[in-house]
Amino acid sequence: MTLYWPPSQWGLTSRIVALSLLLLLLVQAAVFSVVRTSIEQSAQRQVTQELQVGERVWRRLLDQNAQTLSQGAALLAADYGFREAVNSQDDDTIRSVLENHGARIGATVTALLDTNMALRAVGEGQNQAQIMPLLTRLGSNNAQQVQGGQVALVGRTPYQFVLVPLKAPVTVGWVLMGFPINQKLLDDMRALSDMHLALISQAPGASSEIVSSTLPADALQGLTSLDTTIRELPVPGDVLLARTVKLDAGSFGNVRILLFRSVNEVVAPFRQAQVALAWITALGVVMFAVGSVFAARRVTTPLRSLVSAAEIMGRGRYDVPMEFTDRKDEIGGLAQAFDTMRLNIGAQQDQIRQLAYWDRLTGLPNRAQFREAVQAHMLKFAQDSSGGADKSMAVIMLDMDRFKHVNDVLGYSFGDQLLIAVAKRLTEREMRSGDMVARLGGDEFAVILAGSDAATAVAVAQRIAKSFEVPMALEDQNVDMSASMGIACYPQHAQEVDALLSRAEVAMYAAKARTTLMQVYDPSLDSASAQTLSMLTELRQAVAQGELRLFLQPKIALATNAVVAAEALVRWQHPERGLVPPLDFIPFAEQTGFVRELTNWVFRETASLFNSLDSGSPNLRVAINLSTRDLLDVEFPARLDAMLAEFHVPPEAFCLEITESAIMDDPQRAQNTLHILSKRGFKLSIDDFGTGYSSLAYLKSLPVDELKIDKSFVMNMESDEDDAKIVRSTIDLAHNLGLTVVAEGVENALIWDKLKALECDEAQGYFMSKPIPAHEFSAWAQAWNARHQASA
Amino acid sequence: MQKNLIRCFLLVAYCFGCMASARAAMVQIQVQDEHGKALPDAVVFLESREAKQLAKPLQGSEMAQAGRQFVPSVLIVTTGTAVSFPNRDTVRHHVYSFSPAKKFELKLFAGTPANPVVFDKSGIAVLGCNIHDNMAAWVVVVDTPFFARTDSLGLAGLSDVPAGSYRLRVWHSRLPVGAPAADQALTVGSTPGNATVRLTGLTP
Repeated sequence: MTLYWPPSQWGLTSRIVALSLLLLLLVQAAVFSVVRTSIEQSAQRQVTQELQVGERVWRRLLDQNAQTLSQGAALLAADYGFREAVNSQDDDTIRSVLENHGARIGATVTALLDTNMALRAVGEGQNQAQIMPLLTRLGSNNAQQVQGGQVALVGRTPYQFVLVPLKAPVTVGWVLMGFPINQKLLDDMRALSDMHLALISQAPGASSEIVSSTLPADALQGLTSLDTTIRELPVPGDVLLARTVKLDAGSFGNVRILLFRSVNEVVAPFRQAQVALAWITALGVVMFAVGSVFAARRVTTPLRSLVSAAEIMGRGRYDVPMEFTDRKDEIGGLAQAFDTMRLNIGAQQDQIRQLAYWDRLTGLPNRAQFREAVQAHMLKFAQDSSGGADKSMAVIMLDMDRFKHVNDVLGYSFGDQLLIAVAKRLTEREMRSGDMVARLGGDEFAVILAGSDAATAVAVAQRIAKSFEVPMALEDQNVDMSASMGIACYPQHAQEVDALLSRAEVAMYAAKARTTLMQVYDPSLDSASAQTLSMLTELRQAVAQGELRLFLQPKIALATNAVVAAEALVRWQHPERGLVPPLDFIPFAEQTGFVRELTNWVFRETASLFNSLDSGSPNLRVAINLSTRDLLDVEFPARLDAMLAEFHVPPEAFCLEITESAIMDDPQRAQNTLHILSKRGFKLSIDDFGTGYSSLAYLKSLPVDELKIDKSFVMNMESDEDDAKIVRSTIDLAHNLGLTVVAEGVENALIWDKLKALECDEAQGYFMSKPIPAHEFSAWAQAWNARHQASA
Repeated sequence: MQKNLIRCFLLVAYCFGCMASARAAMVQIQVQDEHGKALPDAVVFLESREAKQLAKPLQGSEMAQAGRQFVPSVLIVTTGTAVSFPNRDTVRHHVYSFSPAKKFELKLFAGTPANPVVFDKSGIAVLGCNIHDNMAAWVVVVDTPFFARTDSLGLAGLSDVPAGSYRLRVWHSRLPVGAPAADQALTVGSTPGNATVRLTGLTP
């Protein structure tokens, strides 16, 4: 599993943040667009409404002006002095009063008309000619209409006129007052309504022109068309919406007022709100981003912590507690679950480690831990640059002798207790730091001696061997145990842990095979060493190239002096080394398994020669030694069958000799094989009888025909009474069991005689003959028979 | 008002008395507006040289102010008649006339003024009140004893009018200011006669 950690972690945070921001921005964008649209619509509507209101305000303004004017005119008309002056035809006074009253209310035109609307007088200083055209038109108009206010052009200036009857008390004339619609009025209107105005007049038959305006000069320049359809006026940076208000000037020309309302001014507060909204949006985005990052971090930080904690666990460390276990949310739950998992796995790991590194029975370190310890020492030595003499180490490998037998006889439970006792005995010794005693498995133990060389190791091994001399007291039984020990040293024998252990083991097996208690490793012991390999090659070569020789040592019936049997022995005629002694290659062949080839060769050679052998007596038997490996080979009987058939030799011609130790390695399988061979008709013999530990009860269950007393007893029987007794009782025992007895190691006549006296069946030894080449056997037998039959 | 009624009765009784003599006759005048509709409150009088000599100032004529109105709104007097202006309101009035027939001004009096105003010239005087602009009344000063005002049917009866040639004059307050009374010839015989006058140029 590869963790692509930083991007994915950032990914979760950024995905949460991005999603939140995206949603927020979507909402904000929607709000913004709606606001924008509604602002525009609302602004349009508001401007339109304001323009409508403006029109009403404008008309109201004009009405108010007209009222003011009417009131002024009415006041004038009601003035008693004025009426008196009018009735007394005092024109100077009349003009003066007209001017005076007009000035009071800002009317620039004041005139007195008679009941036929003919001009009687104008205000002092006023241009009579100016209003004459107006009067002509007014004359045709209904006076009532003008009374409420009438807009008319005087020259190119629009005026608002009122006409008030002069009553004394009946109407005796009319007072006309005119008020210019000028810049001042527009300014008043602008002050009232925030609107710009442009006053347009069009005298009959003339073109429209702007009389006055509140518009700035640049806006005025844009107002090129004075059409009534004008709706908007673009000015730099703004648009003015326009509304045309026609003033009823009747036939007095065309007067229009244009109302302008700045869209920007209307929108300005909305724009401010929009700016505020934009700020809020920006602020919201920032706060949302910060909040989202914070919220996401609150999730991803614990997750990251959990991931790194999981990685720590993945590296095998279970002692770092999880963070965030005190949180009450899902993260806390996850962290707690992780922590529980960590503790459980840690506990299991400890248990596994215990199982993996410790032997449960004895409480000693097991093979794995032992191996690691050895490796650790090696590593330490390798890293230690100081050339100390302590950079060495010895390994003693120890295997209990006959432990399997103890197990079989006394039971596994006893065997276990025995192993515990052995472990105790091994660990009683004072250990130095770095030393270790381990149980490698079964009855195999091992000791590390750090900083020791072979000599020290041998001393330690001797002490161990000594400690085993004291019998072990278990369950009211005293058990005599011995152990075989192999010693291998670092760095002389191996620089690598497995090689070192294997060499210690090789040494141990050598010690066991030689029953020498202990053995320091030597390359010659090792079937895997270069020397062994070459030896193996040479042996193969020996078989293939016929360097092996078959020797026969005769067996003589003590009773008749007849040559009744012979033991087949192999000899190696090395082309360079000459005749190689059997001890130099037989144990090696047994270690490597090549012994089976040898057995094969001997059997085959014997079988091929058998019919040519002439011992001088019928039913000659040739004894062939079998090794443990032969007994454990399930195909062995079949191979023998094949060879018997090939050379037409009956199985009764062979006696197969098996040592006690060969049987005891795996009694069950050995027994099976022996039964099979016995059924085939082979004779079976226990070789070296008396040196092993096999019980009579066990022997009884084996299908053997013969016991072969070990030569160590036979050779000493003439001098050692005990051995003589053993030989005698063995012969008696064998005979009682219906077995024949062969004594080997018969070296002189005295022994010969004694054996004969003890009624031993057959004898073998140098007294009669050393092993002789097979082809010389017949000649030897002839000579023997000639000698003894003659004497017999 | 009560006196006027009494005068009317007296006049009617006088007329019936005259009918007995062969020299006097009863004249009935029908006044219409330009649409032929009967015009009430029109002043009708007959002028002639003989009639002028017959005319004498009237006694007890008055133009009262009651309910902020002149009562009556049209008063017909002969030349030289002194008209009193009794104020029956609790508020003051300022009665004036700018008419050429008689200019006067009775300022802000309350109760009855001491001096009545003598209308010494024939013509029409428009009276107003400087305090109350809506108050208006007319005093028609005639040089003849033969005058009358049309009733609601637009009829005015003139009795005991000697036979002869007269100028029949008809005036109404709705005629334009300063406009003279309508003028037409009328011959009165010994028997009662009728005449119809259609008045034009009336203001609405």
